[in-house]
Amino acid sequence: MRNLIAFFRRFRIFLFFAFLQGIALTTYFNYLAFPRSQYLTTASIVSGKMLEYHNDIVKHFQLAYNNRKLQYENTLLRKRLANSFIRVDQHSVLINDTLNDQQYEYIPAVVVNSTINKRNNYFTLNSGWRKGIKRGMGVFSPNGIVGIIHNVSEHYSVVKSVLTENINIDVMVESTGIPGLLKWDGMNAKIGSIASISNDLPVKKWAKVVTRGGSGIFPRGINVGKIKDFKMVEGKPLWDVSIYYSEDYRKIQHVYVVKNLLLNEQNKIENSIPRDIEEQEDNQ
Amino acid sequence: MIEIIKHSIRFVFFLIAQAFIFNQLEIGLGIQLMVYPLYIFLLPLGMNVFLLMLISFGLGFCIDLFSNTYGLHASSALVIAYGRPYLLKLFEPRDGFDTGIELTIYSMGYTWFAYVFGAFLLAHTMWFFLIEQFKWSEFWYVVLKTVLGAPISLIICVLLQFLFFKKPVKR
Repeated sequence: MRNLIAFFRRFRIFLFFAFLQGIALTTYFNYLAFPRSQYLTTASIVSGKMLEYHNDIVKHFQLAYNNRKLQYENTLLRKRLANSFIRVDQHSVLINDTLNDQQYEYIPAVVVNSTINKRNNYFTLNSGWRKGIKRGMGVFSPNGIVGIIHNVSEHYSVVKSVLTENINIDVMVESTGIPGLLKWDGMNAKIGSIASISNDLPVKKWAKVVTRGGSGIFPRGINVGKIKDFKMVEGKPLWDVSIYYSEDYRKIQHVYVVKNLLLNEQNKIENSIPRDIEEQEDNQ
Repeated sequence: MIEIIKHSIRFVFFLIAQAFIFNQLEIGLGIQLMVYPLYIFLLPLGMNVFLLMLISFGLGFCIDLFSNTYGLHASSALVIAYGRPYLLKLFEPRDGFDTGIELTIYSMGYTWFAYVFGAFLLAHTMWFFLIEQFKWSEFWYVVLKTVLGAPISLIICVLLQFLFFKKPVKR
């Protein structure tokens, strides 16, 4: 017993160090795996508010660029407005459109805090569950995809951006429809990579990569980037494809959060698929 | 008492500087500028190690709150706070530190400061990127980031002292 007390006295500094270090590392790795508390993040009200003040100052630095992008998008949308069409057929009748159902709704938001040079980069948005944002929704900007909502508080939310290790958004090459999973290697914020494209499929340089819309997070066809080059993976029948992102994440400000109105329906019907008989036997 | 107020004000200053200025600067190549090690380095010499570690942990955690790193800065601040007494013992001048001295570049001289604070920063940055990357396969990338980032942080910290610290009057 005396030896034990002597041991604690001798190593009390190191034990205290190890204790605090344990707290820090547990919170860090816990958060990466699953966001439990929102009080220790920029989604909390205090740091969220301060970051908003910060953004109030800094947002003007990229104002010209962002305004140009929004203006460009506005002109695109204005083209589709009813009053920019000319009636060709004077005798047609207006009917309620029952052929198209609304599937996606978009919630506008502003990025108030972002990083690009960490291994896992998270962006903070100035909208939370009050505006209907939920965990797992997709986020994109006028130029391309941004990420997936990771954590939500009342007025703020944190996005797990495409500049994280395991983002795994399903994307495809637009021209051929070859699917793959989006990854990031942590080196360069302009370059991402696509995993799990089998190397007997033809891949072309500068082909456009868009979202596939398979998991219901993003609509189909949102811009991701262009293929930069592709190499063989050593020992596996796969391509190692790297792409240039179409969005410049250093300048990002205005984004849209995707709300899929039919997500529940999709999940329900996909969960109704019976599991493999062999798999069931394994479990029994 | 004056010391406590001085270091409290400095705490806020370094917190704001790191969270809102230096964490937002993106130089490229994965370089991150660290200025808050300077605060930990400048805490009083004979300070209790437990208090030193607690303050560093608190500062690191506050910075984490603003940069979505959840404990990464706290962990690396803690490492250097734990290592500071050993480092200072290793680089102690021949006849010991003067009592009540502050370890600024003015009082300790350019060479001493560059060596000791450089080692301090190197340990901090290395630990930070190792935990952030957490993969041995990316070890050389970590080394590259450290070797590029630490000298720039050192220069920034020296400049900060030239700008904001009063030169003590020679008696």
